[in-house]
Amino acid sequence: MKGINFKIIISFLGLTSMLNGIFMLFAVPFSMYYGESEKWGILQAGLLTIFIGFALWFFNNNAKKNLGKKEGYLIVTLGWLMLSFTGTLPYVFTGTIPNYTNAFFETISGYSTTGSSILTDIEAMPKGILFWRSATHWIGGMGIIVLTVAILPLLGIGGMQLFMAEAPGPSADKMHPRITETAKRLWLIYFILTFVEFFLLKFAGMTWFDAINHAMATMSTGGFSTKNSSVAYYNNIPLIQYIITLFMFIAGANFVLTYFALKGKIQKVFKSEEFRYYFFGVIFFTLILSVIILNYRDLNLVTSIHHPEPWGRTESAFRHAAFQVVSVLTTTGFVSADFTMWSSIGTMLMFSLFFIGGSAGSTSGGVKIVRHIVMIKSSFYEFKKLLHPNAIIPVRYDNGSVPKTIIYNILSFFVLYMLIFIFSSILLTVFGLDFISAMGAAASSLGNIGPAVGTVSPVDNFAHLTIPAKWTCSFLMLIGRLELFTVLILLTPFFWKKC
Amino acid sequence: MKIIIAGAGDVGFHLAKLLSFESQDIYLIDMDSEKLEYASNHIDLITKKGDATSIKLLKEVNIDKADIFLAVTESQNTNFTVAVLAKKLGAKKTIARISNHEFIQGTDIDFAEIGIDFMISPGELAADEIKMLLNQSAFNDTIQFENGTLNILGSSLDYNSPLINLTIQEAREKFSEIEFITIAIKPENSGETIIPRGNTVYHANDQIYFSAPKESIKNLYKLMGKTQFGVKDVMILGGGKIGVKAARSLCDNKFNIKLIEIEKERAKEVAEKIPNALIIKGDGRNVELLEEENISEMDAFVAVTGNSETNIMSCLVAKSKGVKKTIALVENMDYINISQTIGIDTLLNKKLLAANVIFKHVRKGDVLKLANLHNVDAEVLEFRVKENSAVTKKLVKDINITKKAVFGGVIRNGVAHMTFGNFQILAGDKAVVFCLPEAIHKVEKLFN
Repeated sequence: MKGINFKIIISFLGLTSMLNGIFMLFAVPFSMYYGESEKWGILQAGLLTIFIGFALWFFNNNAKKNLGKKEGYLIVTLGWLMLSFTGTLPYVFTGTIPNYTNAFFETISGYSTTGSSILTDIEAMPKGILFWRSATHWIGGMGIIVLTVAILPLLGIGGMQLFMAEAPGPSADKMHPRITETAKRLWLIYFILTFVEFFLLKFAGMTWFDAINHAMATMSTGGFSTKNSSVAYYNNIPLIQYIITLFMFIAGANFVLTYFALKGKIQKVFKSEEFRYYFFGVIFFTLILSVIILNYRDLNLVTSIHHPEPWGRTESAFRHAAFQVVSVLTTTGFVSADFTMWSSIGTMLMFSLFFIGGSAGSTSGGVKIVRHIVMIKSSFYEFKKLLHPNAIIPVRYDNGSVPKTIIYNILSFFVLYMLIFIFSSILLTVFGLDFISAMGAAASSLGNIGPAVGTVSPVDNFAHLTIPAKWTCSFLMLIGRLELFTVLILLTPFFWKKC
Repeated sequence: MKIIIAGAGDVGFHLAKLLSFESQDIYLIDMDSEKLEYASNHIDLITKKGDATSIKLLKEVNIDKADIFLAVTESQNTNFTVAVLAKKLGAKKTIARISNHEFIQGTDIDFAEIGIDFMISPGELAADEIKMLLNQSAFNDTIQFENGTLNILGSSLDYNSPLINLTIQEAREKFSEIEFITIAIKPENSGETIIPRGNTVYHANDQIYFSAPKESIKNLYKLMGKTQFGVKDVMILGGGKIGVKAARSLCDNKFNIKLIEIEKERAKEVAEKIPNALIIKGDGRNVELLEEENISEMDAFVAVTGNSETNIMSCLVAKSKGVKKTIALVENMDYINISQTIGIDTLLNKKLLAANVIFKHVRKGDVLKLANLHNVDAEVLEFRVKENSAVTKKLVKDINITKKAVFGGVIRNGVAHMTFGNFQILAGDKAVVFCLPEAIHKVEKLFN
């Protein structure tokens, strides 16, 4: 290997940046429609981003088209950093979030589909900026690198490296022999589902602006809402909450399965072991929490998010349990009710869901269900191996056995995940958070969830964090979205050594 | 086009790579998951682990929608079986790699009837290649089009060549009486092949590729700084299938053949098969034996034993003893690029040869011939120019053919024409194009 091909990396970053700038321009019509003066700021931000991207691409256009593993990791990590820095421009240029740390936090929270906000009054924000906030979710959900691979057929071979580095889950499935076709299909499904959800939400009674924003935030499992009280704003319209629950569930499932389902091969969906655990897990936790809410609701807890009961008390308990379980499991982070008020058991159960995550190949974050399945199975077989030291016991998953290399990868991922969680919790207490809130903020940021516990509970926000705490959370969100290895590998000495 | 390849060995891998450059939908089947992982990391395709003879597996990859099925595993019998199965399950065209050339020549059996549309024998191809290389002794790479009307020739540039330190443009003006186009240069000690521009400079020891009509070849020797020598006495090392085939056809062409084979039984067998050749029982790694057999008097030395390293080493020995032309058979694809550096004229790889012949079959029929060069990673394609294709609409200099490809001349009514800037390509011509693998797709577009 002749060193790292920086030219192709920079030219690729340029292309990504141009795409990002084009997305910014989409926010301009919204701003114009509502007659806001911020349209100029957004326009400037968009044009500047496109210009930066164009310059980077133009001067490195002659790059050799060879992309190795190292270039892949660098492109994805640097691409996401670049995205986050240029993504702050609309906030900064319009002066809506003047503090740069806050603007960066809000942007990375958007791209990483976390949904933690530092805004104290969301409804007061200009509509164009709110749209941009949701757009960052939508771009980051399926991944802008995957989008670049899909619409710019400039990479044949290296495309897979990029795809693997950005797509969530321990291994990336191809729906089509060609990577560009796979990427196209993913984005197409993503777009269609977003559009369908928008239509349904509008039909159920949202304004079209809120419907667009919520649809984008749902399908990307983001969690930015256009309302101060998030989806709890619609507590009087249960239909809206059910629609969002359904689409959060779809967004948290593997998109390859959604693709099969759309093609009419429903039986293939239930053949997937991960989907079965996901499906029944959601039902299981929903039922338990429904019971908890029903029994503890009358304790006269003072909570700013009340549970109105338009369709009766049982329905309300079920709906909020389902909504919150799906919201946290898929790492969306929409709020219909404050789960930290659901007694200690309820809160603890919800907090434990922070560490599970959605399915591989979805837009969700977290550890992912498939990793848990493999880890639990392989740990369980260890008992058997103690009794029969010479036995060969493959870890079976989806009618096949999981190779040892993948098991080691998953185990080290989990160890790393927990170490980072503990270490960053300590760091956050150093930066001024209390014990519970630090743990909550760390788990929530690392898992790209959004709301947490303590002073950053579903009804609070992250505005009161100190500046270093905000940067810590931003870093956690980035490495969480890119599944640790992609970012952390750049910090290892072997990455930069030639041998 | 959906292409399913059974066998992720060298042939399968190389084919998949060539095909992926033109965005085909490729599925690769093999038993070895390591080979598959390597392939999926380097090529844009879907891999499937398992036995290609499993009907269930073939159905899983939707064999009935496959346009082409390539059975290129190491085993002839597997290839046969899989190709037949694939055909019966609905694959449109099947191609099998075989080792017994009897299936291709000298039989009336119609294999298409049982489901194998085309068969290919790598050993056969290698033997043919050796014969052709020995006919053009000063060049280390030769591709003939239309029985030699137009030729692509490769050679390294000697110190006394008049071209040295001239640019392409200067050389063309100075030697305007000789018709040739320089289509590619591979500088010494560089793994990269460049398509020359007008201001590219010739250096000593560069590997140069020319395209030239038959009449110019004699003059090209002079330009290269080489003297032409007729090859008469050839020593072949290795009495395997390729060695025997090559020896037999060279004998028929009045060459004097000395064949060295290590195993006594095999040597006897070969001696019975080829009465005109001198068969010697001995180890080719033994330099004394080679000297005893007058290696220094030989015009060419061809090493085709089963062991690549033996072939390379013995060729180096031959070179040091003054043999002008050396050809070694190698298994490892990666060695192909270093033949010039290590000082062997031509490294042959039969898998690469096989892959290219198969590749031609995969193409849609407007490609008349596809050949690869032995010493660089590039392809030479011959197209039949169709009515209204993009190339007929402009002068050669105005055609946007990318920096990774170059026209190497056309054959019109059996006469070769050089395609300089003001040349107009017409429908019905047969055009020869040299291109690097990643440009194939673009070049193809020009002809459609």
